[in-house]
Amino acid sequence: MKDILTKVNRNDGMTVPDGYFDDFAARMMAALPERDWEKPQPKVMPRSMWQRVRPYIYLAAMFMGVWCMMKMFDLMRADSSGLSIDNNPVMTAALGNDHFINDYFIKECEVNDYQLMEELYETGFDPSAYDDELFEENADSSAEIPETPEFPLSKI
Amino acid sequence: MAKELQLDDNGLVARLREPSTCREAFGEVIKLYSEPLYRQIRRMVQSHEDTDDILQNTFLKAWQNIENFRGDAKLSTWLYKIAINESISFLEKERKRRGLSLDDEESNTIALIHADTNIDGDELAQKLREAVATLPEKQRLVFNMRYYDDMKYEKMSEIMGTSVGALKASYHLAVKKIEQYFADSD
Repeated sequence: MKDILTKVNRNDGMTVPDGYFDDFAARMMAALPERDWEKPQPKVMPRSMWQRVRPYIYLAAMFMGVWCMMKMFDLMRADSSGLSIDNNPVMTAALGNDHFINDYFIKECEVNDYQLMEELYETGFDPSAYDDELFEENADSSAEIPETPEFPLSKI
Repeated sequence: MAKELQLDDNGLVARLREPSTCREAFGEVIKLYSEPLYRQIRRMVQSHEDTDDILQNTFLKAWQNIENFRGDAKLSTWLYKIAINESISFLEKERKRRGLSLDDEESNTIALIHADTNIDGDELAQKLREAVATLPEKQRLVFNMRYYDDMKYEKMSEIMGTSVGALKASYHLAVKKIEQYFADSD
């Protein structure tokens, strides 16, 4: 066997087409897929000053808004207690004064004479009891007695 | 073989690890190793066309896994491993595709050797190829690397993951079988 192996050239006798290896290297390089690290990286644009501080500005504005809202609610609550009638001595005195009620409050509420008379009749008011008094007052005057006498509110 | 082992230098590996020089360095790897790998594959599969396909797959796999090459082993060892695995996978696929038994495969390989037009050897060299084709896959690999490539057993052990003792025994058996083949054919 050793004789045979020494007789045989270690070259296996296999041949390749001319220029095969040069062509193979070129083909192989063209066939190699692009790897991740070879792909061009997307350009990262530098962030402007406004873009950097914008989130913080928005956050601060939001907190300011919340603070203002809470302050406003607080002020409204304080005013409502100040507007209470019990806490206002002027209003209390005015409401305790009958003249004020009769002259301003009732008038302001536009209660007409008919409604007043009706209420008086309901409480047992008799207009005839005031007739003499009315005549005496009118006797001195030259004015004629109207057919439908009016009842001034101040006399009631 | 000794030639390409010398080319397995640290400078090339360092450039392969650098993203900017990796492709260029891999081009050099292809130029350096395409011929020895081609011969190793060709001795296994015999056909030039099949060898061309397997060689392409070998370099493609190497390229796709280049970041996994840590440099612990030599570059040539790593490439030989890939080439041998690709060759064995190809032979198994072919066997399954054609529904061939091991004996059928042997006669099929001899038929391929006879049909091979890309040869430039004498009758004795042709007969040795036929004898090698009758060997089991592993013995064929060991004989090819030891006899044709003059590869050291330590290097073969790294590539095939087999102990040096087992490889020596395998080579011894291969030589005996080839001897028997020549004796029978005389």
